[in-house]
Amino acid sequence: MLKSPIIKIAMVDSPMSQSSIRQPRAAVRAVLSLLIILHVVAVFLGPFAMPPGNSQLSAVCAQAFQPYVEGLCLANGYRFFAPEPGPSHLIRYEVTLPDGSVKEGMFPDRQQHFPRLLYHRYFMLTEFINTIDDPAAPSDAAKAYARGYAEHLADVYQAKDVKLYLRRHFVPRMLEVERGMRLSDRSLYKERPLYPASQESDANADR
Amino acid sequence: MRIVSAVQTWSREILAGWNRFWFQAVDPATLGLIRICTGAMLLYTHLVWGLHLTTFFGRHGWLPTEAVRLLQKDTYAWSYLWWFESPAALWTVHVIALVVFAMLMIGLFSRVVSVLALIATLSYITRAQGSLFGLDQINALLVMYLAVGPSGAAFSVDRWLKSRRAGVPLPVEPSWSANLAIRLIQVHMCIIYLFAGLAKLTGPAWWDGTAMWMALGNLEYQSLDMVWIAQWPLLINLLTHVTVFWEISYSALVWPRSTRPIVLLLAIPLHMGIAICLGMMTFGLIMLVGNMAFVPPEFIRALWPWSAAERGRGGEPAGVVPQTGKAARPAARASGSQR
Repeated sequence: MLKSPIIKIAMVDSPMSQSSIRQPRAAVRAVLSLLIILHVVAVFLGPFAMPPGNSQLSAVCAQAFQPYVEGLCLANGYRFFAPEPGPSHLIRYEVTLPDGSVKEGMFPDRQQHFPRLLYHRYFMLTEFINTIDDPAAPSDAAKAYARGYAEHLADVYQAKDVKLYLRRHFVPRMLEVERGMRLSDRSLYKERPLYPASQESDANADR
Repeated sequence: MRIVSAVQTWSREILAGWNRFWFQAVDPATLGLIRICTGAMLLYTHLVWGLHLTTFFGRHGWLPTEAVRLLQKDTYAWSYLWWFESPAALWTVHVIALVVFAMLMIGLFSRVVSVLALIATLSYITRAQGSLFGLDQINALLVMYLAVGPSGAAFSVDRWLKSRRAGVPLPVEPSWSANLAIRLIQVHMCIIYLFAGLAKLTGPAWWDGTAMWMALGNLEYQSLDMVWIAQWPLLINLLTHVTVFWEISYSALVWPRSTRPIVLLLAIPLHMGIAICLGMMTFGLIMLVGNMAFVPPEFIRALWPWSAAERGRGGEPAGVVPQTGKAARPAARASGSQR
């Protein structure tokens, strides 16, 4: 307990306090300043060089910082709900059980996945595969993820066969809602096969 | 010659301003509070991973090693979780990570655990590629800067133990590295909002004012029924436009003292709106934690109910004495707020 103002001032002026109050030495400041500049440039390049739509210059600059940016997970676009909030995506699955019966399910599932953060993890699984998957020319990574989801379900259900469908859920226009359309109206859902890989394109993607 | 002299003066002022901005010692209260909030969020985030740990990261999990590594081919992303696939091994490292996050939250061995927490956070992010969202990005940046500054210098078990060992309440030690960490968070937040806003300019819905409806009317995101708002198109337009203008102007208007309170106050309804209406409570809260970097330490000391233990007798933090008397001046000067 501090009883006396003298003790208080003595503590304030203690060597420990004074040493921490000082700025670092000029040489240290110079080195730190250089590191700060490099770091801030790297932080800036993360979103600036994020494809799609980035310039060639930004890509060249980002290449120089690639180890640092990727090592510290700074390669983020920060494009929250941009270019605009779009439809959401779900995955519907059909698993053929050992007895030949077919079980259907869907994820994310609000009832099953609680708390909300866990639901969001499942939701991001489906959003992510939509982001990396181009039905016209499926990438190796998209195929590997879809196969991974299917293998997981096969493992859980000991299934003989698994089929996955990517279900796109469009948001109705305000006018449609005013006229009584529900957010879960059947006409708002479009579906395409996801696994096994299909070359079918999503004919309804431009709704 | 006058031009040369003017340039020299200008250069000196720039240098002095740079040094003041980055290296002026400050009360570490803001950083301490950010440590508590970030530690709590990291603990919660990873507790939730724990609910389905092997389901996500196990051998036949949702995030198969082969797929994630294929996606990260030729990148520098890394994770220690690659070495653990069996349930027992996964659970062992997961529990260790939870302990680290809990220690960060309470501020025990803060210097070491802040670095360990950074390693753990980055490892989970790399491994969980495919199930990430904004929360993870902000978690990572905050814990990175907590490792830069003395995050355990205020509101921590470390500090309590130090005072107990000394037998007296220790003075607050203003720290230039606390300022550096806070400044880095501030600059990073500005870059985030700038790009979040600029990216929206490419979307027609952010111009025609309907974007907010497209978010609120999304059933999978929705955690509060906001369908009624479709009857109020002008309100939706207003919310949409305010969001874009706020994000784009954040990096300019958060610095002047006169506009900062408005910018920070607007952050609350914006992020809490996302949290409550779109079911992203964690993301909304962690963005507010990032915004906390702009809150001066004196303000936090004034609000913090247990702060008295870290104060001197005059109501001021013990190392930040009133500006009277020669002895007091260095400490008072050095404790300048992060403005």
